[in-house]
Amino acid sequence: MYTDVFGAWVAVFLTLAIFSYLYKDNPFYKLAEHVYVGVSAAHWATIAFWSQVRPNLFGRLWPYMDPAELSGFNVVWYKLYNALNWMSGTIFPENGIPGNQTQSFMYLFALVLGIFMLLRLVPSIGWLSRWSLAYVVGMAAGLRLYGYLSSDVLSQIQGTILPIWTGSLGESLNNIVLIVGVVSGLFYFFFSVEHKGVFGKISRVGIYFLMITFGASFGFAVMGRISLLIGRLTDLIEFSKRQYGYATYILLAVMIATIIITTRRDKEIAE
Amino acid sequence: MSKFNSILQKLDSLDRRIIFLIIGLVVLLPLLIPLNLPVEATGLTRDAFEAIHHLPDDATVLMSFEYGPSTKPEIHPMAVSVLRHFMSRGYKVVIMCLWPDGLFMAREAIDEVLRDEKFSNLVYGVDYVNLGYRPGNEAVIKGITKSFAANYTVDSRQTDIMDIPLMNDVRTVADVDFIFSLSAGYPGAIEWVLYASDPLQIPVSSGNASIQVNQLLPYVKSGQMQGVIAGMPGAAEYEALMEEYGLWPTRGQAAKSMDAQSIAHLVIVLFIILGNISYFAKRKSQKKY
Repeated sequence: MYTDVFGAWVAVFLTLAIFSYLYKDNPFYKLAEHVYVGVSAAHWATIAFWSQVRPNLFGRLWPYMDPAELSGFNVVWYKLYNALNWMSGTIFPENGIPGNQTQSFMYLFALVLGIFMLLRLVPSIGWLSRWSLAYVVGMAAGLRLYGYLSSDVLSQIQGTILPIWTGSLGESLNNIVLIVGVVSGLFYFFFSVEHKGVFGKISRVGIYFLMITFGASFGFAVMGRISLLIGRLTDLIEFSKRQYGYATYILLAVMIATIIITTRRDKEIAE
Repeated sequence: MSKFNSILQKLDSLDRRIIFLIIGLVVLLPLLIPLNLPVEATGLTRDAFEAIHHLPDDATVLMSFEYGPSTKPEIHPMAVSVLRHFMSRGYKVVIMCLWPDGLFMAREAIDEVLRDEKFSNLVYGVDYVNLGYRPGNEAVIKGITKSFAANYTVDSRQTDIMDIPLMNDVRTVADVDFIFSLSAGYPGAIEWVLYASDPLQIPVSSGNASIQVNQLLPYVKSGQMQGVIAGMPGAAEYEALMEEYGLWPTRGQAAKSMDAQSIAHLVIVLFIILGNISYFAKRKSQKKY
């Protein structure tokens, strides 16, 4: 119960602090902005470590093993792990990371690339991080190539090859608009020929289609922003209730008073 | 007439804080005094609903959470409605997240749906499972086309994935009958189309933040996606369909918020018209002198 009330006060404070920027830049906004950046980074790092790095990297390099079953290289390998266990028993519990992972030394490659990435913090050997980045860029390019070719190019071309007359007036009109829009839009992006004459007229139609698309995007963006405002205001209304100690009213009053006082003081100093 | 013209010209230099205040008020007032404006489902939302509703009774669905608190007001209501729809139809639900915050959104949605007595008999690990978040964006999707176990050794409760009965039948994403992505950007619905749905021919649909809808419509038009739930209005429409099909009796959060959304849109349109009139009035007067 108390944690709910505390959470509500924090949420209200941060919401109002961010909204206060609409009036003018002020210390409340600055504080909320810095808290947001710091918490986001810490939150992401923690989640990534506990859900990916620990089970999927360390868990595969040092899966749980009965010490009696260790043999060969693993004897030395798990001695190294014991040193990690000594550093933190929570992250590296005794005898390996629990789970059903099978041991795979291929993940040493990932570990090394991960360490290289962090070496950006050491300027003299920071260049090693480029190897990791090169791997990420290469992997992403290779991974996306097939997906884009298949789904974004071929399937979209297939989706544009439509009959002009389908038997239904509405559907046929829709298809014609789609075909004209795609063709004229492509004409506009063809820069090897000067845009004049018939070519210019078709590319002009393409511009109109693009403008309508941007307009629709802007409309959706406005709709999204209003939705977010609705979300914050819904929370502010909820947290203004007695069960939350009238958090919204109290914090709003405190913030308005503080901003008025600081504004007056700033004016006086300026004068 | 000249006074009217001068007012119009003054609009051009109106303090933006007055506009913020007006928008704030027109959003706030309908939330305090609901108008209960009607909500009717459009084709896009209905397509998504029908695609989900007509899956086989023993279907297994994958629900992916790719949004966070910043887009919660838009996407969370549809997450709750769609999850409720899945559970009402008796589908097995595998939940995963490509965004770190998605994990918390998923937990909230599950808790909200399970609060209803109707779903009190559902068992974690048998009827639904939350695998949690994995970093890697589309690489995670690509990975689960080969094996879930290779990417998820444990679920969000740190349970060994091999000890989860539901996952015994779901070895790869090809074992699910439908994918539903709750997406606010990258990675999101588009990545699901590119790396799972198209290559493996698994039907996919999506609930999106408004800003992403335009990017997804070509996939719907080409048949690569089964409808789209577009932003808060889409969520409200989905809630209306749930009511129409007798799956949920009450007006949900999205439908309640639509009054404010509609009024705010009207005011914004009014601002655009006034802004244009003011612009032309100013131009005319500049030409005159």
